[in-house]
Amino acid sequence: MNDAVEPLINDEYAGEPPSKRVLAYLQSQRKRGAKIVGTYCGYAPVELIRALDLVPATLCAFSNATIDAAETVLPANLCPLIKSSYGFIITDTCPFFGISDAVVGETTCDGKKKMFELITDYKPMHVMDLPQLPDEPEALAQWTTMIYKLKGFLERVFERTTTDERIEDAISDTNLKIRKMNQIFDYVALDPPVVGWGELYDIFFLAQSATGREMAPLVDDILKKLERRRQDGYIYGAPESTRVMVTGCPVAGDAAKVFNAIEAVGGMIVALDACSGMKTYGAFIEEGTGDPIGAIAARYLTIPCSCMTPNDRRLTEMDKVIERFKPDAVVDVVLQACHSYNVESHKVGENVQDKYGLPFLKIVTDYSQSDIGQIRTRVEALLEMCK
Amino acid sequence: MRAAGLDIGSRTVKLAVIEGGRTILTRKTLTSHDPLDAARTLIDGVRYDVIVATGYGRHLLKGHLDCPVISEIKAFAIGAKALRPSCRVILDIGGQDTKAICLTEAGEMSKFEMNDKCAAGTGRFLEIMANALSYTLEEFSKAALSAEEAEKINSMCTVFAESEVISLTAQGAKRHEVALGIHKAIVSRSIALLKRIAPPGELFFAGGVAFNECVRVLIAEELRRPVFVPPDPQIVGAFGAALYATRQAKGT
Repeated sequence: MNDAVEPLINDEYAGEPPSKRVLAYLQSQRKRGAKIVGTYCGYAPVELIRALDLVPATLCAFSNATIDAAETVLPANLCPLIKSSYGFIITDTCPFFGISDAVVGETTCDGKKKMFELITDYKPMHVMDLPQLPDEPEALAQWTTMIYKLKGFLERVFERTTTDERIEDAISDTNLKIRKMNQIFDYVALDPPVVGWGELYDIFFLAQSATGREMAPLVDDILKKLERRRQDGYIYGAPESTRVMVTGCPVAGDAAKVFNAIEAVGGMIVALDACSGMKTYGAFIEEGTGDPIGAIAARYLTIPCSCMTPNDRRLTEMDKVIERFKPDAVVDVVLQACHSYNVESHKVGENVQDKYGLPFLKIVTDYSQSDIGQIRTRVEALLEMCK
Repeated sequence: MRAAGLDIGSRTVKLAVIEGGRTILTRKTLTSHDPLDAARTLIDGVRYDVIVATGYGRHLLKGHLDCPVISEIKAFAIGAKALRPSCRVILDIGGQDTKAICLTEAGEMSKFEMNDKCAAGTGRFLEIMANALSYTLEEFSKAALSAEEAEKINSMCTVFAESEVISLTAQGAKRHEVALGIHKAIVSRSIALLKRIAPPGELFFAGGVAFNECVRVLIAEELRRPVFVPPDPQIVGAFGAALYATRQAKGT
């Protein structure tokens, strides 16, 4: 990034890993007496957590450093996200887990659900049984029940209760956040764009824990800076950069080597179609239904995760992302041993190549840096196909 | 104008110099532990006007010669198209990578697939297996071709496959039948890669492994379509890079 431009969030954490800012936020919340609930996945219904005056925290899952420790128990041939998460816990190195008063997991995949069994003794823990055929009529009823059960768990652990009004209020707060984030995304969609993935990650990380109302003034300030960048003719990256959409498994920390490889060979990431990116902000939760938990359940079931079958929404949502951000090429990141994203990649590749004529590349990787050379060669060839 | 292409592969560094569309010089050397030194030795005393680097060591050279770089995938696409204008599908089995590349009619890359990050099914795999059976590479291919039956090799991991070969020979399996099994294993893996991009027509087979007659024969048998191997399949990437250098210099 051009050093001359003012960071979008210009605080003492500017230039630091984005986790530091959100950790500081959580620590300040703890100081005011708030309790923290650790989450692993976009299926955790944060509106319910907030309605109980609890603060959600996304737990560490993206470092290669804890994988050796994890492999003393877990098999090596497992998803690095699961190994890393577990390694953080047994080595007591995830500060977010450390300050969490309870942890929520979901049965998104076999590896995760079995890993959760190994960490139940560390903190009060609740696993939600996620239906995986989301379009079946009973799926909504089941997931609604699971959210009620989570409510029961949180009420028991934290000895408090909530009301429909407060849940409704948390829904409108989430919707405010979604509206605000999408205003930022409008600037990512510009050609050439005025913001890169690193600054977006600063915002994504903070928004995992901060409320919509807390984010709103910050986002307004960010929007002013982005508008100024646009008017000043500022361009993130080189003007002739190839626009790349990255889809697939969550990417952060050591997996961001893929983002770095894309930028190193002249690519510009303009769409982050994963749970670690824009996916969370893809749809609103219906307000004023009189059944806020049902409304939350309905929205979460439409998250186009590869754990769902069929998962046609992955493609229909991706179409919207492609039409909005106009990428020149698509990279599908699959974390080693994530079978559902790996298999689904075939459909994704067909969709982007046949429907949009976009060059497509699947990268299967883990958190080690051993394949950086190979990734770079593949990404370079992908970008050469765009010229 | 003389244009040079330098392909710094994992096992071999290749140089091609072209002038007026004709190849006037090719050189090769082993990459060794010092690819930059190997590349320098190779271009020592060679006269050229423009140079482009490719291969896994391309960025290393870029820092020293300040030359443009292209990926080896693109280099093979350009080189193969020039050597065989009808070419639509390329299989390149090199030292550490296997690539299947699909071209449009105009010769533009439209799809490519590469092996996973390990050396399974690559030239290095063949080298290690030949060594495990105490063959030279030439003997290895000949022995495999002479076998009527093949011992099945189940593992494609280089390390596990070597153990498998050792246990097969310990059980008294015939050496040339094990050799054929290894060749069949590498071919079935390459064909799976090719089928992912599924283009029709003749296969352009390049990379050092294309020197191996047994692999060539098995691929043609399995694919049931013609396989074209250029006179020097190892130089295609360097040649493609040299052609690219010429085109860039001419601004076309």
